[in-house]
Amino acid sequence: MPPRRISDVNYMDVDSDSDVSIVDDDDFGGRNKKGKGKATDKKKKDKGKSKAKEQPYAWEASYTRSWDTVQEDEAGSLQTAVADLMARSRRRRLLAPSGAIRRTIIRHLILILDLSSSMLDRDMRPNRFDLTLEYAREFIVEWFDQNPLGQIGVVGMRSGLGERLGEMSGSPQDVLKSISERHKIEPAGEPSLQNAIEMARSSMSHLPTHSSRELLIIYGSLTTVDPGNIHETLASCIKDKIRVSIVSLAAEMKICREFSDKTGGQFGVAMNEGHYKDLLFELIPPPFLRSTTTTTSSSTKQTTSIPADLMLMGFPTRLPPTSAPALCVCHSALKSEGFLCPRCGAKVCDVPTDCDICGLMIVSSPHLARSYHHLFPVKGYIAVTTLQDSPPPSQNCHACARPFPPPITSTISEGMSPLSRYKCPDCNNDFCTECDVFVHEVVHCCPGCGK
Amino acid sequence: MDTASHLSVILDLSPTQWHLSSLPSNTHPLSVASFLSQLLAFLNSHVAIKHENSLAVFGALPGKSVMLYASTETGSESTELADSNTYLPFKLVDATVVERIMDELDALGDPEEEEPIALVGALTKSLCYINRVMSPSTSSAPGGGTSEDQTTLTDPRILILSVSPDLSTSYIPIMNSIFSAQKLKVTIDVCKVYGEDTVFLQQAAHLTGGSYIYLERRDALLQYLIMSNLPPPPLRLLLSVPTQDKIDFRAACFCHKNIIDVGFVCSVCLSIFCQPIPVCSTCRTKFPMKTLRRLNEAMPPGARNPAGTPSRATPAPTASGRGTPAPGGPGRGAPVPSGSGRGTPTPGGPGRGGSNGSSRPPGGSSITAGLANNLR
Amino acid sequence: MSSTKAAKGRDAKTPAEHVPHPLLPFLQSQSQNTLTRLYQRPSACLSIFRLLGPLERQLVMNLLWLESAIPSLTMAAWVTPEGKILYDSSLLVLSRLHIVTNLLNPATKQSPKLNLNTTFKTSFRQAITGGGTSGSFGVPAAKDDKHPSSGVEALDAFAVERWETILHYMVSSGTGQVLAKPSAGVLYLLQRSRLMATSHGSALQITSAGFQFLLHSPHDQLWQLLLQYLHMAEERQMDLVEVLSFLFMLSTMDLGRVRNCNVEYSAESLSDTQKAMLEDLRDYGLIWQRKASSRRFSPTRLSTTLTSSLPPLPTSASTGTGTQDQGFIVLETNYRLYAYTDNPLQTAVLNLFAALKYRFQNLVVGAVTRDSVRKALANGITADQIISYLAAHAHPQMRKNNPLIPVTVQDQIRLWELERNRLKSEEGYLYTAFASQADYEYVLNYAKQLGVVVWESPAKRCFFGSLEGHANIRGFIERRTGGGGGG
Repeated sequence: MPPRRISDVNYMDVDSDSDVSIVDDDDFGGRNKKGKGKATDKKKKDKGKSKAKEQPYAWEASYTRSWDTVQEDEAGSLQTAVADLMARSRRRRLLAPSGAIRRTIIRHLILILDLSSSMLDRDMRPNRFDLTLEYAREFIVEWFDQNPLGQIGVVGMRSGLGERLGEMSGSPQDVLKSISERHKIEPAGEPSLQNAIEMARSSMSHLPTHSSRELLIIYGSLTTVDPGNIHETLASCIKDKIRVSIVSLAAEMKICREFSDKTGGQFGVAMNEGHYKDLLFELIPPPFLRSTTTTTSSSTKQTTSIPADLMLMGFPTRLPPTSAPALCVCHSALKSEGFLCPRCGAKVCDVPTDCDICGLMIVSSPHLARSYHHLFPVKGYIAVTTLQDSPPPSQNCHACARPFPPPITSTISEGMSPLSRYKCPDCNNDFCTECDVFVHEVVHCCPGCGK
Repeated sequence: MDTASHLSVILDLSPTQWHLSSLPSNTHPLSVASFLSQLLAFLNSHVAIKHENSLAVFGALPGKSVMLYASTETGSESTELADSNTYLPFKLVDATVVERIMDELDALGDPEEEEPIALVGALTKSLCYINRVMSPSTSSAPGGGTSEDQTTLTDPRILILSVSPDLSTSYIPIMNSIFSAQKLKVTIDVCKVYGEDTVFLQQAAHLTGGSYIYLERRDALLQYLIMSNLPPPPLRLLLSVPTQDKIDFRAACFCHKNIIDVGFVCSVCLSIFCQPIPVCSTCRTKFPMKTLRRLNEAMPPGARNPAGTPSRATPAPTASGRGTPAPGGPGRGAPVPSGSGRGTPTPGGPGRGGSNGSSRPPGGSSITAGLANNLR
Repeated sequence: MSSTKAAKGRDAKTPAEHVPHPLLPFLQSQSQNTLTRLYQRPSACLSIFRLLGPLERQLVMNLLWLESAIPSLTMAAWVTPEGKILYDSSLLVLSRLHIVTNLLNPATKQSPKLNLNTTFKTSFRQAITGGGTSGSFGVPAAKDDKHPSSGVEALDAFAVERWETILHYMVSSGTGQVLAKPSAGVLYLLQRSRLMATSHGSALQITSAGFQFLLHSPHDQLWQLLLQYLHMAEERQMDLVEVLSFLFMLSTMDLGRVRNCNVEYSAESLSDTQKAMLEDLRDYGLIWQRKASSRRFSPTRLSTTLTSSLPPLPTSASTGTGTQDQGFIVLETNYRLYAYTDNPLQTAVLNLFAALKYRFQNLVVGAVTRDSVRKALANGITADQIISYLAAHAHPQMRKNNPLIPVTVQDQIRLWELERNRLKSEEGYLYTAFASQADYEYVLNYAKQLGVVVWESPAKRCFFGSLEGHANIRGFIERRTGGGGGG
């Protein structure tokens, strides 16, 4: 997760049920989600009505919702609302298991964008399509930051067809380029879920089992025009262990819900711009490794095993900028900087990548290191509620050495400390609110114990 | 533009290493005292450059890290410091830093075994500090300081003065700190005052675009610091500072600590092995036989070794020197001693562009060893 | 700043965009002897050092701890190709200030060597390391229990009051309001610097230079006045070194470093010239004294921030709440202007170029109109100055906009300025009454070759040539008439 600006009011206080789905309890999560789905539908309807009645002009509608969810406290400040947001992220962190956990580090994701005419709806500003492109860009950048060894492909759904917009690639630039030319992906016609999924599925079929196969569908329409039986597609997705996550911009569709439930993905309906972004960004951290038991139809042989494998990787030699220029294999450009494939000696511009000549996966050790914090997260700090403990507490935050603020007297939400103190369970040092967030979301290393 | 800049200095205060450094058997012995006096001159220079420049000093002690000085935190009882011969801010820095260091060193006592240096703690603390000061804090800290503090910092950078060797267990935390420094756009400069090059810090400097210097002549510390660590990042577009040309990002396997070009990586925990093995030694994951067979076949014939002893992968390109300001490279003037023992300028060759960087056998072994330790 | 400079800035965003400090040219004009005497004081070295550009400062630092001169080629090896131009100009500035000596030995034909001026080196080293006996950082007075030293707020209030009295006097001089007059010394200085002038014996009136002055940042204003003061000091036979070093001493003094307990400095150790200066500087609000005869003084924020370039004097913005530090003006695309201020000075300055409509307790509403801008232009204020003033004082809320000032308003203000420049006068001669079309064209061609034709009209058989071409054209015609007998 990126360090999210707390002041971002758009990042709204939505029902945090979706967090629960991290817990490996399908039944529980499912029930909750259904409830939310309905609530969402109702809210949507209400909104539609009121819009028609009270807002004759489209631009007047543009700001209707930004303050609805943020409540001022008695003193007229937004402090409590902001604190609420922080409390929520804290709770979420505490829910996540600490200690070494297993996640899928090598990920393959195909992003399926709805490019049907329904994306031109203006219920999200400026419209669904432009907002989607904007969020997709942010999503891709952040996704590669957290999953340096992953790859993303892009597929669009337009006029009843699936269109391949970008091949599977490990370079953020390549992926961003595939959605950069807006005029080439102008929305039109009806979407076809089946066509797009089949296209994505076929391009993932060759992938090794140890890497994840994921689809992320951003779906704006409420219909789908399919050439055949879409349930067969669903069955083959389950067979291929493709995880399908869907973010719907309109309302819940039965088939979408079924897809994500049965393949172990996540499903959500975006209520507003902020929630939309939340739903997307929840999918960025690498997913937990599931043992294959969750999917019902899979063979019994694999019940206990985790799809793991040994991968062949090459650690390239980095060429300094002073070396003699040579042609690279990826762009055929004359460059002096670059990396040499250790197996075939080909020169590539950037890592991580697959060698274009011999197909070896080329990484550098910092790329591996970038993923380690997912495997060894920092323990959640405990909110300090009283100062009764001996020895006498320090006056300053252990990390930034700023004095702690005076205790907050107003009501505070659960999981927050009235003293703005958070204690590391290992080294028993106190940290301030800012440092707590910073340590867990950016540094991933406790300043007290150095772990 | 001519903007104020922030500098956080991290001092490695390992008593053992400083003792070794001051031994007369060194070519250029450097004691803590003379180190401090040169350091203080450097700190003062940073403060002198601009009225608004801010400064923070952190100390990494055995098993502990402390903030020694921060210009945003006003000192408490310094009324008596006023002196007609010294600029007050200088005096404030010097007095506080020296006093705190002495306090901390005294508090260390004389333990039998020295704990490892808490470099990670100091590094993360300085990052937290920069994060906290950079983003004008939310109103949760009303008494945070005078209005002067609230000016946002531009071009923050961290200078690490290191004397201790790499600590293999701190590989992951250091890498995490480096990545967060990248996110905060903090430049990390490293000056290796004593001891072998540290690969971790080389990577830190490289990945954040900072400079790494290995102090060849320790008596010229001040000159080195001023020429390569004083210019704020915007100025470095005009004045080149030494950087690393070649940093090896290869890894060493977990099983035999060999530097390898091509390795086998566990998909679950990313452990690296030099040959296909059936079970991951780190996370106990079993690998399918099919892949083992396939990979065994794919191994280059020379490298395959039925006896199970590791094959030595191609040796690293032999190293000829170390970090950048090393002597002997073309276009590089080695420091010339002068009367007072201060070095004449050492335009150690603009690091960029010169062919002076030389590769070193990567200390990857320690990197991954540290990782392995962490995993077990 | 001219538009060409701005364009350059977009091409290469380097630290090169450093506008040299106004004091530096003045220092450069001084003799080496004066400067060397000035460099004997560590505080002066430190202050001058801070006034230099970033690259110059780094160069000084690089040279500071060297014992011997180094070949300039060695130093140049550190400079990247992009920095070459700036490096050369920096060296030039430093050598003009006699800080760096560029030893060129023609006999040995070696490359020139760089070294710091010995006096400067010694003093600056002393400034950095402390110690010495120069006492150039001001001698703190012994604690006086009878009069506890005043807090920083009181000093700030004093400085603001003094400074705003001056500015307010200037801005309201045209309106006929009678306000508190600054002291005679200040008035004389304002008159000397041609910020104000008496027109035929009447009271002092603000000049166009004065109007421009009002829109500058407080920091620039202060230096502009101080520079004038320095010029005046020269004429008054004061020792310039004493004057300068006192100013620099003030700039390195301490203000409220120790919380709210201000250090007072003793005036005992000052020279006579400097004691005389106390009174002048008190009038400008640079220092504070309990009473005129007091033997101790305290610097105010105006003086301690003399050598810091960025944040202008934090106190000068407002007398009320400190929020105005960040700016107070909201300008809308419809030329409406809202200024959240209760400060009469700021209101008066706004009144220079905006038509004010309403005035509330903490808010002034007005509009930028053609008439109001033309009035400002007539006073000698330029469009760029108006725009930069608006930008510098924009409300934090406005800073979210990009560009900061609405483009429509910016353009319109510039257009209004251009309106005034529709007519351009040029002296010259009108050549008429050519006998024939051929004659006319012959002379015209000649004039065109010279490039002096401003306007031509073949139908009327006349053209207008600029002044500098007249002699040639006349000669040409005379030669022709002399030879051909016509024309």
